[in-house]
Amino acid sequence: MADRHTEHENNLNSHDEHSGAHHVVSIPLYLMVFGILMVGTIVTVLVAFVDLDHIFPGANTLVALTIAFIKMTFVMLYFMHVKYSSKLIWLMAVAGFFWLAIMFAFTMQDYLTRTAGVFSV
Amino acid sequence: MQNVDAINSGYREEPVNYLTNGYTLKSWLLTKDHKRIAILYLIVVSAFFLMGGLYAATIRLELLTPQSDLLQTQTYNKVFTQHGILMVFFFLIPAIPAILGNFLIPIMIGAKDLAFPRINLLSWYIYMLGGGLTLWALMQGGVDTGWTFYTPYSTTFSNGYVMAVGLGIFINGFSSILTGLNFIVTIHTMRAPGMTWFRLPLFVWGHYATSLVMVLGTPVIAITILLLALERLAQIGIFDPAIGGDPILFQHLFWFYSHPAVYIMILPGQAVASELVSNFSRKKIFGYEFIAFSSIAIAVFGFLVWGHHMFVSGQSMYAGMVFSFLTMVVAVPTAIKIFNWTATLYKGQISYDTPMLYLLFFIGLLLIGGLTGLHLGSMGLDVHLTDTYFVIAHFHYVMVGGQVLAYLGGIHYWWSKMTGKMYSEFWGKIAAMIIFVGFNLTFFPQFILGYLGMPRRYAAYPEELQVLNIFSSAGASVLGIGLLMPVIYLTHSLIWGKKAPANPWLLPGLEWRTSSPPPTENFETTPIVTWEAYDFSEENGLDLEDAKNRDRVTV
Amino acid sequence: MATHAADANDHYHPPGLQHQFEDMGQQQESVSIGMWLFLVQEIMFFGGLFTVYLVFRSRYPMAFAAGSNHLDIFWGAGNTVVLIISSLTMALAVHYAQLGKRMAQVVCIILTMILGATFLGVKAVEYTNKYQEGIVPVTGLNLRTGVHDTEAPYSVPLDPNMSEKQSLDAPASVEQNKGVSGEQHGKEHTYVNPTGSFIWEDTSLAQLAQRENFLTDAEKIGYFSGNRLDPHKFRDKVRIFYWIYFAMTGLHALHMIIGLGLMAWLLWKAWMGTFTADYYSPVEMSGLYWHFVDIVWIFLFPLLYLLGRHFGGGGH
Repeated sequence: MADRHTEHENNLNSHDEHSGAHHVVSIPLYLMVFGILMVGTIVTVLVAFVDLDHIFPGANTLVALTIAFIKMTFVMLYFMHVKYSSKLIWLMAVAGFFWLAIMFAFTMQDYLTRTAGVFSV
Repeated sequence: MQNVDAINSGYREEPVNYLTNGYTLKSWLLTKDHKRIAILYLIVVSAFFLMGGLYAATIRLELLTPQSDLLQTQTYNKVFTQHGILMVFFFLIPAIPAILGNFLIPIMIGAKDLAFPRINLLSWYIYMLGGGLTLWALMQGGVDTGWTFYTPYSTTFSNGYVMAVGLGIFINGFSSILTGLNFIVTIHTMRAPGMTWFRLPLFVWGHYATSLVMVLGTPVIAITILLLALERLAQIGIFDPAIGGDPILFQHLFWFYSHPAVYIMILPGQAVASELVSNFSRKKIFGYEFIAFSSIAIAVFGFLVWGHHMFVSGQSMYAGMVFSFLTMVVAVPTAIKIFNWTATLYKGQISYDTPMLYLLFFIGLLLIGGLTGLHLGSMGLDVHLTDTYFVIAHFHYVMVGGQVLAYLGGIHYWWSKMTGKMYSEFWGKIAAMIIFVGFNLTFFPQFILGYLGMPRRYAAYPEELQVLNIFSSAGASVLGIGLLMPVIYLTHSLIWGKKAPANPWLLPGLEWRTSSPPPTENFETTPIVTWEAYDFSEENGLDLEDAKNRDRVTV
Repeated sequence: MATHAADANDHYHPPGLQHQFEDMGQQQESVSIGMWLFLVQEIMFFGGLFTVYLVFRSRYPMAFAAGSNHLDIFWGAGNTVVLIISSLTMALAVHYAQLGKRMAQVVCIILTMILGATFLGVKAVEYTNKYQEGIVPVTGLNLRTGVHDTEAPYSVPLDPNMSEKQSLDAPASVEQNKGVSGEQHGKEHTYVNPTGSFIWEDTSLAQLAQRENFLTDAEKIGYFSGNRLDPHKFRDKVRIFYWIYFAMTGLHALHMIIGLGLMAWLLWKAWMGTFTADYYSPVEMSGLYWHFVDIVWIFLFPLLYLLGRHFGGGGH
């Protein structure tokens, strides 16, 4: 592969990742990630029963989603080997969520401004 | 083996190309060769175009008179719906990517095939399945929702074939996703040695951007259509305002895909245009990087503007303002392209071959289509123009004047490469001019009709609008004749056409450096690219004197 | 895989290399990018449903909380654990494939399949419970008649005479007959729902929100007829929650089933010793898919099962 793209490459394809030898993640690391995921699951269940909405509305949801996001990050980085992958894979992983965020944000900018604010009809 | 036979018989056999590599039906239907799959697409997509065209002819015939006399209003609803569904989902979206892109991308980057040949074949079969199901449903009685399937009409009131058509489009979506996925991977990993990102022909850049939209947008329409079908089945009311649902949510989800989908339709057209403008001006394209990144910018910004289809559907004023503003932004990259194309023409060695005629028409018509898009994207003006013939004229200027003309230009341009035969340049030019005249006669009056307030999707209209409608219908028949002509002379050329040389136009692109038609794995040996895109220098063996004399070859 | 490459090339041809690629590195890179693009596509596919969830939850938070509180948190959390363990075994399968250890990867794949099947089994139990409790949102798909010993999932009876206070204080596990006869607690009840329609009577969370004054504008229109809480209107909103619940978990379960199919194929390949330290992309790619399905569940679990627990009340 390395000799195929002899010319200057766009930075999306870096050369070192796609040789046959992928990074082999050690089993203790896998187990550690697994432990984090389990702890996250337990915490998210326990926190759900505590009323955090007194602090500010939506706090419970925010906490639950933050924990889910952390869990997802660990699964992607270690189980899915993103940590050891090329920049292109990073870019695609981020792009997926970026486009999802576009869909959420641009849909909600309609719903959240339907009845309130300066522009309400 | 063939060599042995040739020596024995004393007859010099021609080298095997992709067309002569197997003649059985099986060798076509189970092929993994991207070129053969492109031909399979060409046949089926053309059939869908013909069907969509017949529906269009019916619409124009009905609108010849102010009364709804030829068709009942119910039937008319079905006719325009089917025209829309067939044209959008089964012609415009697959046309350039699945035919020209499939055929040319691997050759242009110097690869043997796409990265996933079997997935490529699979996406053709998915397309056939989705198309078959849709056609079946249309034959059974069709749908009358318009191609947009707006709720709650489509979920609650319309007849029962909405689900079948929806399922057909759902299935067809995966064909588009897989094609896009295949292209992106191919462009990333299969480039020949020396073919860097900025040596790629702009055709490839355009298709890269298109593929991004396909992969990111199409799944959303899939899930939306699935929800629509489930909603019809279960009547939960997520799109039904009577029980707490929200029909506008459907529009959000629908346009999240369907607005970017218009870029799936026009980006490949622009990609073809970039090839044509440079090659028929015999001049390196002006502002290569700008055009390349404009394509990417269109793909990205295209996802931010879908709400301009919903200015009057009840979304909030604030959202309308944001979408309206971003619509102005998305016009910029297209404008950049048009400036660059015209700058490329300046002081070029322009030759007015058939593809070039299509290109020049394309630039003009896309300009009109794009600028009227800005009128429609301005929220205040759109309130007046929404759902009038102004909208119809606008998107036909982009879709027909843009995409279809670019597609025809591309087909003519690469016809010799695809089939190994030369078409008749004389009839090609005549047809191009007839199409241009017919197109403008059809759709320009519709701008005026729309401005005067004639609404779309009605079988009847006030009598004072009849003159303009007659112009439009007359133009449609001219356009129809123009579109039939290529079918005839291109088919004719398959049998009686002159054999094409490897490089009839004397151009530098990689696709012109292999035989016409190319061998099964495209190149005898993997090419090594040492030149920039559109490099017409003499080091490339492309002498201008030769180019001036080449007319004798082509006509 | 490489069907017609064999006759085209005379030179050495690594096993698993397809004809269109130059070498294994190129193939591996292509497959990996392709799989990630597929996952991006999947993100957007589920994303449509998440958008629907977002829109309706922001409109009818209390109906969502009421519906969510009735989901069984034990099964939900248990399934989360099952999936996380299966993700671990899948990661280990890739690990052993990379090292070329045949038996170890076979064992890991089998474990993954067992855990995946367990997940689907639990899902089936949950769906069956919904069927028996009459909260499948599709009319006709609920239990119509029968006798069962039920702990009524939603505690507050549909009784206009009952005061707001009373209904709010009603403990979570008050047993109540669903819809028909008013017998005593803890016995077997005759269950009749002739049309098999969606039944929901617990409006306590709407009352709570009304009393503490945090109803959204959409809720004020959505749950109330005038100033009176309309149980039918509230029921329709809960039904939307259950619709989204079934759509999301159903689509997720469908992905699990496809994943199990992939695993079966992998198991056969691994058993045949196809995968070596040089060629293990199929294991790795199936692993990516499996982890992706796991990630979807990581989000589905809090969004569907946990969103209203802090309001108290509800089922289990």
